[in-house]
Amino acid sequence: MRLLSLTCQRFRNLSEVTLAPSPHTTVAVGENGQGKTNLLEALYFLATLKPLRAGRLSELVQFGAVSAKVTGRFLLSGAEREIAVEVVPGGRTALVDGKRAASLESYFGGVSVVAFTPDDLAVVKGGPDGRRAFLDRSVFNRFPAYLEESREYARALKSRNRLLKDNAPVSHLQAWDATLARVGARLWARRRQVVGEVAPRARDAFARIGRTEEGATFSYAPSHLPHVDFAASDEAQLQQALGLALDVRLRRDLERGFTSVGPHADDLELALGQHAARQYASQGQARALVLAWKVAEIENLEASNGFLPLLLLDDVSSELDPERNAFLMGYLAERGAQTFLTTTDAHLVQRAVGPDTVWYRVSGGQVSRREA
Amino acid sequence: MTPDALNRLVAQLAKLPGIGEKTAQRLAFHVLRSPPDFAKGLAAALTEVVDKVRLCPRCFSLHDGPADTRCGFCTDARRDDKVLCVVENISDQLALERTKEFKGRYHVLHGVLSPLEGVGPDQLRIRELLLRLEDSPIEELIVATNPDVEGEATALYLTKLLKPLGLRVTRLAQGIPMGGDLEYADQATLARALSARREL
Ligand SMILES: Nc1ncnc2c1ncn2[C@@H]1O[C@H](COP(=O)(O)OP(=O)(O)O)[C@@H](O)[C@H]1O
Ligand SMILES: [Mg+2]
Ligand SMILES: [Zn+2]
Repeated sequence: MRLLSLTCQRFRNLSEVTLAPSPHTTVAVGENGQGKTNLLEALYFLATLKPLRAGRLSELVQFGAVSAKVTGRFLLSGAEREIAVEVVPGGRTALVDGKRAASLESYFGGVSVVAFTPDDLAVVKGGPDGRRAFLDRSVFNRFPAYLEESREYARALKSRNRLLKDNAPVSHLQAWDATLARVGARLWARRRQVVGEVAPRARDAFARIGRTEEGATFSYAPSHLPHVDFAASDEAQLQQALGLALDVRLRRDLERGFTSVGPHADDLELALGQHAARQYASQGQARALVLAWKVAEIENLEASNGFLPLLLLDDVSSELDPERNAFLMGYLAERGAQTFLTTTDAHLVQRAVGPDTVWYRVSGGQVSRREA
Repeated sequence: MTPDALNRLVAQLAKLPGIGEKTAQRLAFHVLRSPPDFAKGLAAALTEVVDKVRLCPRCFSLHDGPADTRCGFCTDARRDDKVLCVVENISDQLALERTKEFKGRYHVLHGVLSPLEGVGPDQLRIRELLLRLEDSPIEELIVATNPDVEGEATALYLTKLLKPLGLRVTRLAQGIPMGGDLEYADQATLARALSARREL
């Protein structure tokens, strides 16, 4: 897979622009607040239909405009294809070769991207919701269908929570449980598979960059699901277990006004040796854990897809210590994936640069070619 | 300056779903350019539809007979009284009808359960459905709500309510794409979903 060109129209603060990226490294350099992250977000949004930063789709539209559009020409298994996404009032439209995408599968077919941002570096020390979102991005990269599945789950959950708050009759409440249990079990199974694939690779990567005696573990299991062997249960058993747990916890949920069990209440657990990384890891170790996960995810996607994903690194170098930054930049150069880097300081990414690196300058939303 | 009458027409047309200001203007000019009979026919059809078409008091589908009478779906003696198909809205009913596969009766809910939009069981024609079951020989009830989150919840709600009455309750098979709309499913898919319906 290769991105041949990227066009942004009315996207955040960016002036209309078409980029011709390098097959390997493309670097966007600029001061803070100029639009570097916006540029990466345009590409991320195109490849995932999700904004890079939390928030509403409508925030992507340039102030004063009614719609925004991102278009990419990709080389996919030898064929050139154009995919485009337009944010319009009330939603988004996905286009493949100028026609409305018949399905998300047809839209995503073969496009894969991993993003790495300073926000990611904060997840180890942050709350469980940040880690869930972090994990979910990996799950989505592995299984594009996860986008619709998690939306469906969120909608059923929101509906049930509303009914809990309104003290609705149990007959009405329970009408949502079956969907929650079915889709919730699907999310569990997907997360379990991705953690199963990525965790061992991440442990190895951490051993290389962690500068830490203890080994790292990355694990995931549902909260509030006693008496269930998560690793050994199939999806149908998980569905049944979740249905049961919803039943058992209904009174408590009614008292508190929200649903207390399900994928939305879980955590991705990170540990160094026996200790929870959240309390125990130093900042350097915490960042190394995230870096190890990202490297593992890239390798895992390459193994499952048969090609490397596009890599987007937003100003990560300034957040890593020099040694770990050197590792990361060296890793990127060695993998040879198509990579987009942003930085305020071109020196920080020097080790990832090669003869075919393409440089852009971003200033006040204007993106222009510049020499190395 | 465009004449007021024209502005009024454009403004009215632009209130239609899917019609923007520009399209409304195009339509208005089309009406103006057409022979006067066209506009008269259109106006008459518009008035007639609101004067004559009402909801059937039995199935809540459309009906243009005198008040207090039942619609064609309810009175057609060739249709099977023992099978009842519950749909979200009239366009879904018409989509099913186009498959020519279904020969039972219909019941239109006029919506689905949607806590996020403030729609509960009382806002749907569910009470009327229960009343109707009391005096009809229905044996099988097909729940043909859409396969999205709200449609599924509505189907489950109805099942819990109706199963105890000793009815066979079935659901359209998942031939329809998840999150898809019945109204837009093609006829072959819909016909397959109908014949492969599953027990609830
Ligand atoms: N929808 C929008 N329309 C116009 N400008 C926007 C929009 N969203 C964000 N911006 C502007 O983009 C700028 C930040 O761009 P960003 O890509 O985050 O900068 P950086 O180069 O530091 O990564 C801010 O000036 C912000 O006001
Ligand atoms: Mg930035
Ligand atoms: Zn009727």
